Amino acid sequence: MPSSASAPIEATGQARSASLERLVARNYRNFGDLQLELPEAGAMIIGPNGSGKTNLLEAIYYLEIFRSFRGARDAELVRFGEDVFRVEGTVRTGESRDALAAAYQKTGRRKKVELDGAEKERIGDALGTLGAVVLSLEDADLVCGSPGRRRRFLDILLSLVAPGYLASLQRYRAVLAQRNEALRQGATGMVEVWTEGLVEPGARVMAEREAWIESSAAAFARYHEEIADGWTGRLAYEPALGGKADSREPAVGGGVAENRAGYGTEDRVAAWKDELRRAVSENRERDRRRGSTQAGPHRDDLAIRAVVEDSGEERDLRAYGSGGQQRTAAIALRLVEADTLRDKLGRDPIYLLDDVFAELDRDRAARVVRLLDEGRSGQVLLTAPKPSDVELRGGGLARWRIREGVVFTDG
Amino acid sequence: MSAIESLIGEFGRLPGIGRKTAQRLTYHLLKGRPEDARRLAEAIDRVLAEVKPCAECGNLSSEAPCEYCRNSRRDPAQVCVVEEASDIAAIEASGRFRGRYHVLGGHLSPLDGVGPDELNIARLLERLEVGVSELIIATNPSVEGEATAAYLHRAVSRFPGLRVTRLARGLPVGGDLEYADGVTIAEAFSGRREM
Ligand SMILES: [Zn+2]
Repeated sequence: MPSSASAPIEATGQARSASLERLVARNYRNFGDLQLELPEAGAMIIGPNGSGKTNLLEAIYYLEIFRSFRGARDAELVRFGEDVFRVEGTVRTGESRDALAAAYQKTGRRKKVELDGAEKERIGDALGTLGAVVLSLEDADLVCGSPGRRRRFLDILLSLVAPGYLASLQRYRAVLAQRNEALRQGATGMVEVWTEGLVEPGARVMAEREAWIESSAAAFARYHEEIADGWTGRLAYEPALGGKADSREPAVGGGVAENRAGYGTEDRVAAWKDELRRAVSENRERDRRRGSTQAGPHRDDLAIRAVVEDSGEERDLRAYGSGGQQRTAAIALRLVEADTLRDKLGRDPIYLLDDVFAELDRDRAARVVRLLDEGRSGQVLLTAPKPSDVELRGGGLARWRIREGVVFTDG
Repeated sequence: MSAIESLIGEFGRLPGIGRKTAQRLTYHLLKGRPEDARRLAEAIDRVLAEVKPCAECGNLSSEAPCEYCRNSRRDPAQVCVVEEASDIAAIEASGRFRGRYHVLGGHLSPLDGVGPDELNIARLLERLEVGVSELIIATNPSVEGEATAAYLHRAVSRFPGLRVTRLARGLPVGGDLEYADGVTIAEAFSGRREM
């Protein structure tokens, strides 16, 4: 892909690009009736904390995953005193347009998702139509937070790009809940009947996670090294097979795996089935004592490490990274996510940047800007509390202000 | 609660019926001829009075034993286990099965407090003591249906000559037998496999 750091987006023309043209948010968080026409290159949205900057990006990304990226429950997204929120967006890809809409009603807890005017029976059918990635100041949490935070990252991304992943994950969770309840009740003979049901979808989830991590390790290492100046990054899959040391040594070639076409292969699914079946059976006693299933992808982790190539010094960023190192690793991870979406969509995703440059020193910020510009032409919506000299898309972003849920587009 | 509200409430408790539909049904009955509404009430009364689970197989029927258990042209050596009595109608529509049925009355679900004792399993094991050569497990391909099939498979292992089969996976995963069409079920029967 040609580098187009300084060319205006319209002029590049070669790559298929997409942008959010129009956004409506009604009674979503602190928006009453927000209606925006968005420029193709994007906008920088300046507003003090509490003005609704993050809410705006959250509303847009709601159209991607039909949930809050901040992990808020749907009911919390409804404006105070209201019953229903509605978010609508028009995405333009080349000459075609998709109309996306989502609505949620508190009473009756009903969620509705529409694609081009037709209600989708299953929300999964409209997942990922927008094609967007969020980079947030809060992302350090991805690295230093609990393993559940990293599983959530993998689950959202793989639900968007890997066919069948979401269905496998949901089925796995359903079996797991039944098996754990059987363990709690302690009824003999009632636990093992759930085990085989765990193995099939569980192995699919594991194979997809492993494949993505392996195929992403090289890009992660490169992005990390570029931002962190000398420290290379490593990703590794840590499947929870119930033993003490589960950590898979970084994939072939010191964490830098060959790029693989596609995700989890049937061979790997079969291999994980055997491993998971064995692990669950080996943990039978422990499961019984603890009243819950010990082995399985519900306890997986994604190892994130930084290494100094010369000295070989290695640091597990999950536990021992500084705030700055954790933010760096999180940005590198999000860039890999963007690449994954691009492979899937055949175009650059929309970049939702929530105050990402705060707390980065000038040099690091400049390097992140370069990574976000080089070879990337996707629309950018960048929020910040104060105007800054960060220039993205060759300075082509509109400058908007936001106050108390109202967006001022006149600069 | 008013009479109208209470009827709306009752309709609303039925599966697949929201409050709007419940209201529409209620006002439809009120606007129509009284004898139509009374026929509905009587039909409900009648099924309650007459329909009982078949002591042999658990099917819901106003005859005892039920029409399948008393039909001598149906092969007693083949028994097809289903979760609900309503699954029988779906299988009958396929025209592919000429044996007898056994209705469990649900599936295993620890989360709902349903264990083997809550299901019609003891009676099934009694039936297997005499003259049954094949047990076809036709529980739903859902999480709970599969676990129930696994449980049954283990529970019948003490009948050495018994052939235990499971319907083929042509059925939509997670879908209910009840909603599958006749052709799909016929294919699932032909492709059934030894467990
Ligand atoms: Zn009967």
